[in-house]
Amino acid sequence: MRILIIEDDAEAGAAMVRGLGEAGHETVHAADGALGLEAALKGGFDVLVVDRMMPNMDGLAAVETLRREGDQTPVLFLSALGEIDDRVTGLKAGGDDYLVKPYAFAELIARVEALSRRRETGAVATTLRVGELEMDLIGRGVRRDGKPIDLQPREFQLLEFMMRHAGQSVTRTMLLEKVWNYHFDPQTNVIDVHVSRLRAKLDKGFNRPMLTTVRGAGYRLDG
Amino acid sequence: MGLPQLFRTTPFRLTLLFLALFGAAAAAFLAYIYLSTVGEVTQLADRGVAQEARGLEAIYRAGGDAALLRRFAESSANDRPFLYLLTDAAGHRLGGSLAAAPISDGRGSGPIWMHFTRSARVTPEAGGGRRWAIGQTVRLSGGETLMVATDVTYAETFVSRIVRAMWGAAALVVLLGLGGGLLVSRNVNRSVARLNAVVAGVRGGDLRARVPLQGGRDEFDELGAGLNDMLDRLERSIASIRHAGDAIAHDLRSPLTRLRTRLEIALLDVEAGKGDPKAALAQALDDADALLATFTTVLAIARLEAAGATPKSASFDPSQLAADIAELYEPACEEHGLDFKAELTPGLSVRGDREFLAQALANLLDNAVKYTPRGGAIMLRSRRRSSGEIEFSITDTGPGVCDQDRGRIVQRFVRLENSRNQPGAGLGLSLVAAVAHAHGGRLELDEGPGKVGEFGPGLRVALVLPRAA
Repeated sequence: MRILIIEDDAEAGAAMVRGLGEAGHETVHAADGALGLEAALKGGFDVLVVDRMMPNMDGLAAVETLRREGDQTPVLFLSALGEIDDRVTGLKAGGDDYLVKPYAFAELIARVEALSRRRETGAVATTLRVGELEMDLIGRGVRRDGKPIDLQPREFQLLEFMMRHAGQSVTRTMLLEKVWNYHFDPQTNVIDVHVSRLRAKLDKGFNRPMLTTVRGAGYRLDG
Repeated sequence: MGLPQLFRTTPFRLTLLFLALFGAAAAAFLAYIYLSTVGEVTQLADRGVAQEARGLEAIYRAGGDAALLRRFAESSANDRPFLYLLTDAAGHRLGGSLAAAPISDGRGSGPIWMHFTRSARVTPEAGGGRRWAIGQTVRLSGGETLMVATDVTYAETFVSRIVRAMWGAAALVVLLGLGGGLLVSRNVNRSVARLNAVVAGVRGGDLRARVPLQGGRDEFDELGAGLNDMLDRLERSIASIRHAGDAIAHDLRSPLTRLRTRLEIALLDVEAGKGDPKAALAQALDDADALLATFTTVLAIARLEAAGATPKSASFDPSQLAADIAELYEPACEEHGLDFKAELTPGLSVRGDREFLAQALANLLDNAVKYTPRGGAIMLRSRRRSSGEIEFSITDTGPGVCDQDRGRIVQRFVRLENSRNQPGAGLGLSLVAAVAHAHGGRLELDEGPGKVGEFGPGLRVALVLPRAA
């Protein structure tokens, strides 16, 4: 994947270049909003990682300009401002996801990869398919290898999210944010328990587990 | 304050405005008096003169000039005699009380206004001064001209006296008004200056400056009291922010110190060739994460505690929120071998920040899960109290918290002896309390269901929110 990093802090930028590079992505680093906007407008990127507050042109303004130009490249905002209002402002400006600084590399990489996938999946699909797993979004039914799996509504949402990001790591924070819509970190391992319940239903009676734990990052669903 | 400055003040300008209004009203009043008095007098006099003239005409027709002259003489003895002048066709005076034909002032048609000079013979006491009269002239059948008039000098005098009095009064009013205006301006200015001094003081950085109150319940005292109240709040708010800043610095110093020490020892170990630097680094990373989590929570608490900070408020169903949280925690409870129940009253409504309240409930459930031993039970409840307050409560069958510790565990970083082996920084309940207070509510800690076998006495924590307004 080709990723444009717009970040004025040289050290943070270099760290991201390294982290995303080690995850196998090609990165370009722009040192301020204006340069970043210029690079982004030339196109050819799968995801933009944009620091919210920068000299010259802040990230919000850069993304707003980009969106006005009709560029729909997915944007992940990075910000030290973590209040709900700040997130809403970022998403309103045209951001697709919002990550509060400081963050773990695993979190950054998972979110960047989730964003790139987002563009590929058609919004109008009525069926999701990952390997032998099939989800009917209209009839709310799930089958693995033709065998129906009975899921609670939340488990269904959880699985839908995982299927939309099949083959990628998704973190606990991502699940809490995207599936439950909470922005705090519970101390209890609530998400893990939900995931393991889902896994039990999904992999019961099959030899090959589909839902696996990624050490230090989260979970991954593979076909 | 100098006089020119005083002229520029609002009260003084208002005074001038009122003086102008008063002047206009006085002028209108004056005009009305004048017109009505003079009009009345003119009408009465005119009617009298006309009547007298008709009488005299009749006398003339009966007895000619001689009869008229006799009549003049008789009537001059009356109290307020008419004035007469009889002239022949050539204009020569034949007799009467007027010395000569009066000078008409030419005030138009109708009754003649005139100055006249009374003949000294008739009324010697009146002197020769010019007086005012109203009269008519009648041409008699013999060619003579008869003039009948009545003295209205008294009315004119009356009116001019009124006019003079009014001018005098106006002058007095203007003087008193200006003086009063200056006095009022000066007083108002003094009150405004008191306020301004405080504003200047605060602007100069003295947040302790307050308006001295006079004790009278006037609007300046009211404004001053308002200003003082505002400053009190501001001072409290600033103090609490300063306090929060100090607290954050203090709260973060010890974990930072711990992290630093750990890194330093790892470095020493690596230099000495013993120990695995990877493990030490991983540990340091965990420390940093914990530190960041602590920092986030401390910041959230400080923001909630800062006076005047009201969380985002929206109306929602508290039981729906509790149900969402219950759904999030139910599997974890089961995993920990705990029996989880939720008793949620439907149809309630509460105003508040959904995210913060969700976090508060999550913190309380975190605690319940952490401290309730396997085989115990947790109950989440949402209901309306008879007082109308909305209550979320979480009851567990854990060891509970003894009376004297209940107040303490709400404070930041306070962890009881039996929680040493549990993860956490001792901020969970502080955040819940801060959320409750920021919503105008409170946190209540009680004993749970009591001692049952190896369980209990348990803890019942209630987050009580005020009734929706």
